[in-house]
Amino acid sequence: MNTHALKIQTQTFTLHPSGVLFWQEKSMLLISDVHLGKVSHFRKFGAAVPQKAVQKNFDLMNEAIDFFKPLHLIFMGDLFHSAVNKEWQLFEKWTTKVEANIILVVGNHDVISPVTYEDLGIKVVSEIQMEGFLLTHHPEERDGFFNFCGHVHPSIRMVGLGRQSARLRCFFKLKNQLLLPAFGEFTGSHTLEPVEGSEVFALLGDTILPVPIKEKKRKGRYSK
Amino acid sequence: MNRDELYKIAQAWFQQQDWKPFKFQKDTWKAFLQGKHGLLNAPTGSGKTYALWFPIVLNYIKNNPEYKTKHKKGLKAVWITPLRALSQEIRQSAERVTADLGTQMTVGIRTGDTSTKERSRMKKQMPDLLITTPESLQLLLASKGYDKVFKDCAAIVVDEWHELLGTKRGIQMELALSRLKTVSKNLRIWGISATIGNLEQAREVLLGPTTPAFENSVMIKANLSKKITVRSIIPEKMETFPWRGHLGLHLLEYVVPIINNSKTTLLFTNTRSQCEIWFQKILEKHPEYAGEIAMHHGSINKETRNWVEQAIRNESLKAVVCTSSLDLGVDFAPVETVVQIGGPKGVARFLQRAGRSGHRPGKESVIYFLPTHAIELIEASALQKAVKQNAVEDRLPYLNSFDVLLQYLTTLAVSDGFYPDEIFREIKHTFCYQAISEDQWQWLLNFLVMGSQSLQTYDEYKKVEVEDDGKFKVNNRGIAMRHRLQIGTIVGDANLSVRYQKGGYIGSIEEFFVSKLNRGDVFTFAGRNLEFIRIKEMQVHVKKSSKKTNKVPSWMGGRLSLSAQMSELLREELYTARLDKSQQSVEIRSLSHLFERQRKESIVPSPDELLIETFRTRDGFHHMIYPFEGRFVHEAMGSLLGYRISLLSPITFSLAFNDYGFELLSDQKIDIQQVLDNNLFTTDYMLDDLQKSLNSTEMARRKFRDIAVISGMVFTGYPNKGIKMKHLQSNSQLLFDVFRDYEPDNLLFQQAFRETFEHQLEEGRLRLALERIATQEIVWKPCEKPTPFSFPLITDRMSREKLSSEKLADRIKRMVAILSRK
Repeated sequence: MNTHALKIQTQTFTLHPSGVLFWQEKSMLLISDVHLGKVSHFRKFGAAVPQKAVQKNFDLMNEAIDFFKPLHLIFMGDLFHSAVNKEWQLFEKWTTKVEANIILVVGNHDVISPVTYEDLGIKVVSEIQMEGFLLTHHPEERDGFFNFCGHVHPSIRMVGLGRQSARLRCFFKLKNQLLLPAFGEFTGSHTLEPVEGSEVFALLGDTILPVPIKEKKRKGRYSK
Repeated sequence: MNRDELYKIAQAWFQQQDWKPFKFQKDTWKAFLQGKHGLLNAPTGSGKTYALWFPIVLNYIKNNPEYKTKHKKGLKAVWITPLRALSQEIRQSAERVTADLGTQMTVGIRTGDTSTKERSRMKKQMPDLLITTPESLQLLLASKGYDKVFKDCAAIVVDEWHELLGTKRGIQMELALSRLKTVSKNLRIWGISATIGNLEQAREVLLGPTTPAFENSVMIKANLSKKITVRSIIPEKMETFPWRGHLGLHLLEYVVPIINNSKTTLLFTNTRSQCEIWFQKILEKHPEYAGEIAMHHGSINKETRNWVEQAIRNESLKAVVCTSSLDLGVDFAPVETVVQIGGPKGVARFLQRAGRSGHRPGKESVIYFLPTHAIELIEASALQKAVKQNAVEDRLPYLNSFDVLLQYLTTLAVSDGFYPDEIFREIKHTFCYQAISEDQWQWLLNFLVMGSQSLQTYDEYKKVEVEDDGKFKVNNRGIAMRHRLQIGTIVGDANLSVRYQKGGYIGSIEEFFVSKLNRGDVFTFAGRNLEFIRIKEMQVHVKKSSKKTNKVPSWMGGRLSLSAQMSELLREELYTARLDKSQQSVEIRSLSHLFERQRKESIVPSPDELLIETFRTRDGFHHMIYPFEGRFVHEAMGSLLGYRISLLSPITFSLAFNDYGFELLSDQKIDIQQVLDNNLFTTDYMLDDLQKSLNSTEMARRKFRDIAVISGMVFTGYPNKGIKMKHLQSNSQLLFDVFRDYEPDNLLFQQAFRETFEHQLEEGRLRLALERIATQEIVWKPCEKPTPFSFPLITDRMSREKLSSEKLADRIKRMVAILSRK
């Protein structure tokens, strides 16, 4: 695995090719937009998405946790795609094996009651503020804070000679904001154009690839 | 009443109109009344509707001697039309017959445009004669008690069968007929088809191979001789005529005298966006036509379309710019002239369009061909020969399309439920599923009930349930509702309706186009300039704008390819470029300037040469090959050759195809000598290589899109209904990846590859083409810059295919290297 370390303010963050982000000083692992339960949700409504795909999200989360061994695990929203379905039971089982302290920063898809999460020992919050950093699901701008967020499912389009192109999921960094890629297996992505001052780190197999930006568009920010 | 007395009724009616029935009409009446099934081969405007409405009504008269005073209610006949725009016309001819003969029969229409009120009225009491579309017929099968509705139905007529054959809507028809044969005891099945290459097969597909219906059927041919004259529009100054392009606007002024010289002119374009642009430009250059020209295509709202059709009949329009939406049916007598803009990509289609003019038996049809770029003139000349030889294409029917079968089984499960054994017997007798195995059938049933092949833990899959007596049934109302909404979307693309902010429906456009718009952007649609405001609940809100724009919605229309015969004519035409001027057609003569340029850089190939050109531009290395075999063969050959080259060393290609040749574009240079030394055009292992090449391209991935929608795995939502199902929207691309990774043996996933192979790549023609190439000398011309032949290919940005044998990481590395260059 080729991770990529990033200094923001005085703190160190590690970008991992699976799309998770690790805050060294706090031993905090950030995972965004897993969309658990999506496959089961589709199946429940008569769309036969292969059920075997369900397990993959859990396997990938286990790999990331084994790699960083964090004390805290923060889900950056859209953890569960729908209301409770049977995949919840798998999630429940999975949480019993996770030693880290789990917090969910609630996202627009998270319709399951906080009480249900709290029964599993998961704390549900709308945002986290910590030493000049703001963790939210939706992108936010707040004076004096650097914002980590999800929701957007960013990806970047790379082009080459011979009319070649490829789309890669990515971390998308602006001056005061970092968008995390969607972690979930059965989720799509949204292509972003690099803007003035943006830095892009694409997920390419087992590597984090810093993407050089050639043409810069007008001064940018991303908020919805 | 005996048969002769019935004929007399019909003859008397014809006499009253001062008409004489054609032989094919009388033959059809007779066969129908004898209880036979059949296929009627007759062109549009030949009186084919009377060939079948008459015996249907006569048959009712025969069974109900007191027909003038007593009305026996209930459905007697169904008329299927592929385009709902045609239903009004068909209704009028039916009503004329029923009324003039003094019956009390009622005629009704049921299509996607029919109001809910009207539909529920029909539910209570069906009209005697029903005009509908394949989708709406499926919807009837999805409603409870359909067997009672169809019990006494005596006839189904499938109009324009050639348009349905070779499409998935055609399979929907095959399936519906297989059911109705059981449900309606006295059913006669009739198809009406324009001339296609495989008419006999068309009859077999309609009636089912080796079925009693097929045994007891006839083929009736109208054999109306019609004189068709093709005239090419040739610009005076060929030197400035472009080498590429697809709009043809350079020749706009040539169309003006044609419009002025005839009562009504139809201008056929190949795409809806081209239609929009032409309409705009004509008005811009010739404002005097305002109010006298109109536009007609499938995405414009129904009222406008109806108005245009009516205006053509009233002779109140000088010209109409249209797409294939006016290809079929509707009898427009006032149309005197037809202009085809750009290659029609098919002789059958071209003939049909030509037939829109002089739309009366015996009259001459004139069609003008307007080339959009220089090389298309070769096609114009070849087309004239093809018309003379009646070199029409085959329509290839589908086999074992499991997506449509799954949809159909769900339909039956939604209405009254079904017993597998009974349905299996029925579908085994359709053309599409004649070779389905018991294992495949069981797989499909498992898929419907469990969403997989075995019960799984933590699974809540729900669709069809098996009841205690073995009946397969959908009991969940949500599933039933979503299925009904989905039936219409057999060609799957999310369509959004376009409305004014204050209300007022304008038409529908594809999400693909809207997704690229930003607030305030202005685009042209339905002949108006509209400003985009927002998307809300599957609706695009717009307001009128006076700003100029060049944005025109594009619709991903079906791509078409030339038939083998037509490709041959095209080649022969091209080869005349080497002959003396006196032996050339006027089109080829007019291209002498272009051939000269071509010879400067390269050559114009002779019959025993295959030309390969290579050159470099800032896009990369271009490798052009010109077999002149038609687009589909080139797609297959491009994939095959690209795959074989990619085995020599890791490489990535972008491929472009047209009817003349194909391009392999790469960021690396291919050594053509190596291609020739390794004999990469060989037919050895062709099938195997072609199959493998499918894994390196994205063709199957695109085919999977429709399959996922039709089989109900991707829900597209429904325009106009405003039903939000966002939590159920996914894209077929994601789904394709999930299947590839977790269920590659899924029959639907495999179907995507099989259909690409059978329908897109035309293996048989590829083999013949390669055999021909084996007899040719390959001439490789390294060029300094692009040649006239290469131009339409290298500038094609839209419909490209990718093929790669490289690791993604390696490709990305090179992209990064370019980006890092200062």
